[in-house]
Amino acid sequence: MTLKEFTRIIDLYGSESARWPKSLRSECESFLANNIEARTLLNQQWQVDSIMEQLPVPGFPGLEARVLNQSLPERNRGFFEDVMNWLIPDESFGKQIWHPAIAACIPLVFGIVLGNYFSFGIGIEDDGFQYWGDELTMLSLTDYTETNF
Amino acid sequence: MTREPQSISETLSTSNEPSNTEITDEELMQAVCMGGRSAYQALVKRHLKSISHYAYRLLGYQKDTEDITQEVFLRLWNNAQKWKPEKSKLTTWLHRIAHNLCIDYLRKYGRMQTQDSFDDEADDSPSENKESMDEKNSQIKLLSEAIGSLPENQRSALSLCHYQGFSNKEAAAIMNISVKALESAIARAKRSLREKLTTTS
Repeated sequence: MTLKEFTRIIDLYGSESARWPKSLRSECESFLANNIEARTLLNQQWQVDSIMEQLPVPGFPGLEARVLNQSLPERNRGFFEDVMNWLIPDESFGKQIWHPAIAACIPLVFGIVLGNYFSFGIGIEDDGFQYWGDELTMLSLTDYTETNF
Repeated sequence: MTREPQSISETLSTSNEPSNTEITDEELMQAVCMGGRSAYQALVKRHLKSISHYAYRLLGYQKDTEDITQEVFLRLWNNAQKWKPEKSKLTTWLHRIAHNLCIDYLRKYGRMQTQDSFDDEADDSPSENKESMDEKNSQIKLLSEAIGSLPENQRSALSLCHYQGFSNKEAAAIMNISVKALESAIARAKRSLREKLTTTS
């Protein structure tokens, strides 16, 4: 181990050997025992760490009450909002692009189903049959005797 | 005749004193999504301290910290449905919101130089300890100023890993940087603090 490597470990994990990576711990400790610069470095970092532990943070009296009592908007998400959120998601729209695609296909599918079940007075086969029936009747009633060829 | 609450959200939105110690963040967030204010209160009580401490370590001022913390929990209420439990822990998500708000704040109003909580507290201490207390206080003040003068990414990385107890991976996710960049920031911050303390000593 070099001093540079040891410094890197101290920089990353601090002065407590318990925080050092297990795989490097024994190597670090033996390096430390034989290198005075490493010991100086560790001592400096130990000072920094111990002072950091003592850095005060204020108690914030009244903050909890302030956060708890802040006015929160009513959560009145209705059906329409849920549908819109499903259609146009706020996050990862790219992955859920199939949501609006499915929605766009609904009128098409609806039209096909409607067209399949209801003729709306334009049934081709029935009307055709009736049309030819009428035609034959008309032809049978025609008087061809007076026709001059 | 009273009706028994049927679901977790109902329980939390109807009971005055929820026993929330065994309820997970995920269950509480589900209740918040349904409009459960007691669940919101339980989450505030659970996460307020860590969020306010993180914001304070980034901003350095009590008033700003309180504003940011309040905004974090307002966003929790408003965007509860956006939290994906399979992607991150709630505390990571909240710290990320706090981090983004703090960074926006710092970029808008300028960077932290010193913290505002270093009044001399050793005035009434015994006289034999006064000297050592003074020295200790001056070292604390020095280090606090040194932390205040660090770039925001180094300060944030140091705070998340050293004080908030996040792993490097979680801290990197909060800061939206790579683990390598985070480790580099921590290393530079610690080196800088060490140098400042050693030089002044």
